[in-house]
Amino acid sequence: MAEQTKKLSKKALNKSFLNWFYGHLTCFSQEHMQTFGYMVSMLPIIEELYETNEEQTEKIQTYSTFFNTEPQVGSIVVGITAGMEEARANGEEVDDETINGIRAGLMGPLAGIGDSLVVGTVLPILLGVALGLSGGGSPLGAIMYILVWNIGMFLLMRFMYFKGYELGGKAVEVLVGERANAIRDSIIMLGTMVIGGVTAKWINITTAFKMLNSEGGVIVDLQQTLNDVYPSILSAAFVLLCWWLLSKKRLSPLIVMLILVAVAFVGVLIGFFDPNLTY
Amino acid sequence: MTISVFQAALIGICACLSSMPGLGGTTFGNYTLGRPLIGGLVCGLILGNVPMGIMLGAAVQIVYIALVTPGGTVSADVRAISYIGIPLAMLYVSSAGLDPASAEAQGFAVTMAATVGTLGTVLFYGTATVNLVWQHMGMRQVKQGKLKSLYIVDMVLPWISHILCSFIPTFIICLMGSNMVQVIKDYLPMDGLAMKTLFTVGSLLPAVGVAILLKQVVSKPKDILTFFFGFTLCACMNVNLIGCAIVGGFFAVINYSIRCLSIKQAAAPALAASADDDDEEDI
Repeated sequence: MAEQTKKLSKKALNKSFLNWFYGHLTCFSQEHMQTFGYMVSMLPIIEELYETNEEQTEKIQTYSTFFNTEPQVGSIVVGITAGMEEARANGEEVDDETINGIRAGLMGPLAGIGDSLVVGTVLPILLGVALGLSGGGSPLGAIMYILVWNIGMFLLMRFMYFKGYELGGKAVEVLVGERANAIRDSIIMLGTMVIGGVTAKWINITTAFKMLNSEGGVIVDLQQTLNDVYPSILSAAFVLLCWWLLSKKRLSPLIVMLILVAVAFVGVLIGFFDPNLTY
Repeated sequence: MTISVFQAALIGICACLSSMPGLGGTTFGNYTLGRPLIGGLVCGLILGNVPMGIMLGAAVQIVYIALVTPGGTVSADVRAISYIGIPLAMLYVSSAGLDPASAEAQGFAVTMAATVGTLGTVLFYGTATVNLVWQHMGMRQVKQGKLKSLYIVDMVLPWISHILCSFIPTFIICLMGSNMVQVIKDYLPMDGLAMKTLFTVGSLLPAVGVAILLKQVVSKPKDILTFFFGFTLCACMNVNLIGCAIVGGFFAVINYSIRCLSIKQAAAPALAASADDDDEEDI
């Protein structure tokens, strides 16, 4: 039987990408996470490649196994499987296990890359810059963030999807290489610096502690002294304290917050902190 | 400032769109509408005071600047932070007559948002649990070959989960907000220990947000120096954040070039071994 090679149309690929872009997490549960989003985005592909309902039903169930990753970077996986599905429809030897092996194998690394790089670095940098533009309640920063983040992410996800489709199974090598690590470390370095800047600009922890002499004159204004040593040193100190509690003591953020509540309470009692407020 | 039924409904819809797992999608829902800075803009628009919304939203944003949900574990719920916390904070700040730019107003917003954000994780688990029903229906339909129903399961039925777990709670709390704020004012005087502690907590909490971020990017002690480099630029030298990002970008490029050189160098001996030795003698 001489069959012509099946090639996915641009339309089906676009539809599949858009389904992923929008729908990967809309029906989330702890049991399936992104599984339904994945099936919805594979549907246009399957529908185009296979004629009969029986075949379509059989093939779509390849993707009914658990899937969860950082969805924005993860769009490359959907692209990869679209490429593999096309190869399978053309009679190449691709079975469910190969496809799900790639899916399961990339889920973890991509979640790591996506969470640390995109959500953990690029997004805070962008938000940091947006905060800088928000002085005096200006909406400029928020508008800038909405535009840059959404357009940027849409293009990135589209690029990842089609790159994945193009490379198919070969994409795996590109994603976990030396050079990819170098880029990642460099961006993280930039992120670390901006976090330092955000601490300096946006965290404002000051002490109200003053040592008075018997006539009520100020002998030591602790905040003034600290400013002479290193400006905003208390802000930096509290960030480092929290970082130490989180990473070295392995406490959860909620516990650290509760510790801060205790610190604030004691601080107010001994006069170290005082917001000086009245209605 | 009060919140009308219509305004509360709009805020409720935003809560449906913005949450994780939200109906606005991840990029536009969770990572745009869900961010407190954007929530501040949206609530400001709905309630008619954009500057106040932005100022309070910006303050809350610091705490949640690194809100990542690894593996679907949620430590704070963005719909509650941005669409319950911020409207309530706006009500309080305007009725207490505080200047929204003041550290006190922002401290209150932060504490309010952090409290409802933590309590709001209930909403997250609620939505995800109701979605289970649709998913089980969906799996059955797919096995029967009704593939188109995947769209309904993935994009339409979750609206029901969100009406139950996002819209209704947000709507009711926003409507009752003014009364709640009045109760707070009556029973907790500003110069009392409770309010002083509350406002102090508000100024301390952003440190946790930044520390979570720091934990993700710091892998070796030397990285703390990078942090202090950025800190020093902004605290001592008064560079702004865009300036800081540009200086950081410059160093990132240098770092990348150095890393590439070392990758090449590591690859070079392997090449040299296979190639002719003449090249090296020329040098």
